[in-house]
Amino acid sequence: MKSYLKFLRRCAAVSLDGDWRYYAWIGFLTVLCVIGLNAYAKQFVAGLVTTGMSDQVSWGVYIANFTFLVGMAAAAVMLVIPVYVYKKEDLHDLVIFGELFAVSAILMCLAFVTVDLGRPDRFWHLIPGIGVFHFPGSMLSWDVLVLNGYLLLNVYICGYLLYCRYQNRKPAKWFYIPFVFTAIVWAISIHTVTAFLYVGLGGRSFWNSSIVGPRFLASAFTAGPAFIILALQVVRRATSTSTGAGDGPAAKPSMAIACREASLADLELLARSLPELESVSNDERRACLAGATVLDAHPGDVLLRQGVMEDDAFFVLKGRVVVRREEAGRSRVTRSIGPGEQFGEVSALAGTARAASAIAEEPAEVLCLPAESLRRLMRNPRMAEIVHWRMTERLMITDSSLLILRGIVQVSMLINMFLLANEVFSEFYNSNRHVSSWRYLFLGLNGYHALVPWIWTAVALNVTAMMILMLPLSRRLPWLNAACVMCIVGIWIEKGMGLVIPGFVPTPLGEMVEYLPTQNETLICLGIWAFGLLSFTVFLRMAVPILQGELSRANEA
Amino acid sequence: MPSEPTDGGMSRRSFLRTSTVLSAGVAAVAAGLAPLRKLGEFSSVDEFLQKHYKELTPNEMKAVLARIEGEVQRQYGIRPHVRDYRPMNGVEFVYALNLTRCVGCRKCVHACVAENNQSRNPEIQYIRVLKMPNDGTFDMEKGDHNYASKSVPEPGFFYMPVQCHQCKNPPCVKVCPVKATWQEPDGITVIDYNWCIGCRYCEAACPYFARRFNFTTPSIPTEQINTNMSYLGNRPRYKGVMEKCHFCVQRTRAGRYPACVEVCPTGSRKFGNILDPDSEVSYILKNKRVLILKEELGTLPRFFYYFDV
Repeated sequence: MKSYLKFLRRCAAVSLDGDWRYYAWIGFLTVLCVIGLNAYAKQFVAGLVTTGMSDQVSWGVYIANFTFLVGMAAAAVMLVIPVYVYKKEDLHDLVIFGELFAVSAILMCLAFVTVDLGRPDRFWHLIPGIGVFHFPGSMLSWDVLVLNGYLLLNVYICGYLLYCRYQNRKPAKWFYIPFVFTAIVWAISIHTVTAFLYVGLGGRSFWNSSIVGPRFLASAFTAGPAFIILALQVVRRATSTSTGAGDGPAAKPSMAIACREASLADLELLARSLPELESVSNDERRACLAGATVLDAHPGDVLLRQGVMEDDAFFVLKGRVVVRREEAGRSRVTRSIGPGEQFGEVSALAGTARAASAIAEEPAEVLCLPAESLRRLMRNPRMAEIVHWRMTERLMITDSSLLILRGIVQVSMLINMFLLANEVFSEFYNSNRHVSSWRYLFLGLNGYHALVPWIWTAVALNVTAMMILMLPLSRRLPWLNAACVMCIVGIWIEKGMGLVIPGFVPTPLGEMVEYLPTQNETLICLGIWAFGLLSFTVFLRMAVPILQGELSRANEA
Repeated sequence: MPSEPTDGGMSRRSFLRTSTVLSAGVAAVAAGLAPLRKLGEFSSVDEFLQKHYKELTPNEMKAVLARIEGEVQRQYGIRPHVRDYRPMNGVEFVYALNLTRCVGCRKCVHACVAENNQSRNPEIQYIRVLKMPNDGTFDMEKGDHNYASKSVPEPGFFYMPVQCHQCKNPPCVKVCPVKATWQEPDGITVIDYNWCIGCRYCEAACPYFARRFNFTTPSIPTEQINTNMSYLGNRPRYKGVMEKCHFCVQRTRAGRYPACVEVCPTGSRKFGNILDPDSEVSYILKNKRVLILKEELGTLPRFFYYFDV
């Protein structure tokens, strides 16, 4: 408990710390939040009359953003599924980013619903057990349950995994795997329930279509991973420096590192920080020592170099070692390693080139084992388990993991456009009275056409993004990023304003009343978005050093 | 990324920096919340903690009614008589409207506003009259909601008033997340203005555009207040809650006609107890040709349009 409080305190401390770019970004978002808060205070005093909504168009940008963001939150599963169902280990450490984003997105959703309420002071009427909860009759009561449940699930999973990483212990499967799989189903459910909010209204033919649910999922799985592709690159860039200017220990030119033969005493020392080694018998240990050496490194000594083919694996006996990876002319710390932890084992076992360089951070003693000896050690099941688990623990935002996400965005966008085309066909081909809202959206109706430029912008963005994603061109990051931005903006329009507003125009009595958000309403929206991005930034600021091993119990002092 | 120590003992410099940032933040938030000073009396503790209508004991209801009378007096400077009119046994109200006779004079709209203490600014009205062309269609998109004719009826048009249809299968009641709106045993769908959270889901669900939202505090001139008030009916509403036609519960549950029926100069509006086989509405449903608006939605309205010929 005390250690958990200390963990939270250190996380809080690290979130207040950063370089000037971090402060500028946080400061900018905070200013937007305060402006939004001010706008909300005005709305709270005067009522929703400060918005552009009316009895005819009774939901506006608040609910539009809410709908979009529920989808973004649900899309976190698109990182979870490849890792936990298809065992794509590339993405392992990135799952937490997806889940942290889900937490931020749900916080934004809750804020958007709250600002939409006429009587936010009566929110307690919605709390099951205290208020009067219309469950299961009202889809909105389902939404209250699934959104808050999803928030708790993700907070729990992220909190547990990060705390385990902080303590440098292996998470207990039973404490999180069941929750991970629950969260997968739950993610689908939050967006389905949100679709049912609309689909369940028989009097609104624009929404009362069974394809809305699948459309919601397809568009969510387009925009969500697209956002994560961009966010990961921001993290990658923010945690890296251009080569040469690095912070931390600078790599000294290669020179001979003092080296001696390893002895049983060294393995004894290792076993103190790697208890799994205790289960390896002395005979086995002796057999492993063939060809093993201990390196006595000074700060800045390069223990292994990215790109080189070697087949040794390393265990830290004393001191700390950082692992740095260079990519596209920039270098970043992917891990900070202390006693009992390993590095270089992936290339040793797979016979591939070193994926990163390892540099001593403090005076360090490092055990160097030939691949053969490591394999021998790993015949012991407990050793195999710990080595395998630690292999997945690295903050490698590789291009290949971004390309896995590209595949998801690509397929989802295709499905999304296909489903939209289905809907458009069935409405326009029949041209019965139900087509009015569709006509209003795409062509304008009776001289009213506020949404027409928006929806065609969305269509253009989505189609262009789809084309780029289908071409091999989008394997190059600048193109992929452009396509991702288009997906996010296009879908924000299509399933935000493009879905909510036409449902009200014309009204069920055929009246034409248009909706435009007011300035105050827009400021509130910007404030909530800033609040969401602020929370996501702070979450990342805490999570990244923990995943890198820079913030851990080992360096609590 | 920072290379400074991120935890442990805080240096004096970082302490100063943190406290400056925090106090600037608090000041900014306080400035942001400044508009709240204009809030005035927003909600009393009793009002905030008030239970759902159906959970109130008779004594609690008495206290609530007295409190509401006080609220109205403070706001409008006039002491009303607020009662909780309950449904009568063996009564289910039904409404019938004669489309052949209606001339579109909108007297019903005004009578409704006066009877039910509806906000004059912004204007809230429960009845919407559509001026429809006699062109062989029944297309409501051709209806004129805002006609301002010098005299009615205009040749070539018929008039169709629409208000709450008091459905037997009401979509609005189904969607409310807090059961702030429900159907009473006499068939009237009512709202507890003290329980509604203002999410407007019911407004989106209603296929008859029958529900209205208080986008701001309603205003009514004191001399126009109707002091005969009911809890579920015409007492003044709050900012941020829904309201709707309730068949004038304060009149109909005391044996009188709704205001719109009473005022109609052409006798187009009929109202009564469908459980009484001798009532006027029973006669109309048995003997006249009847139109149910949006029958395909399965809402089963208790509001029928009928024709003379």
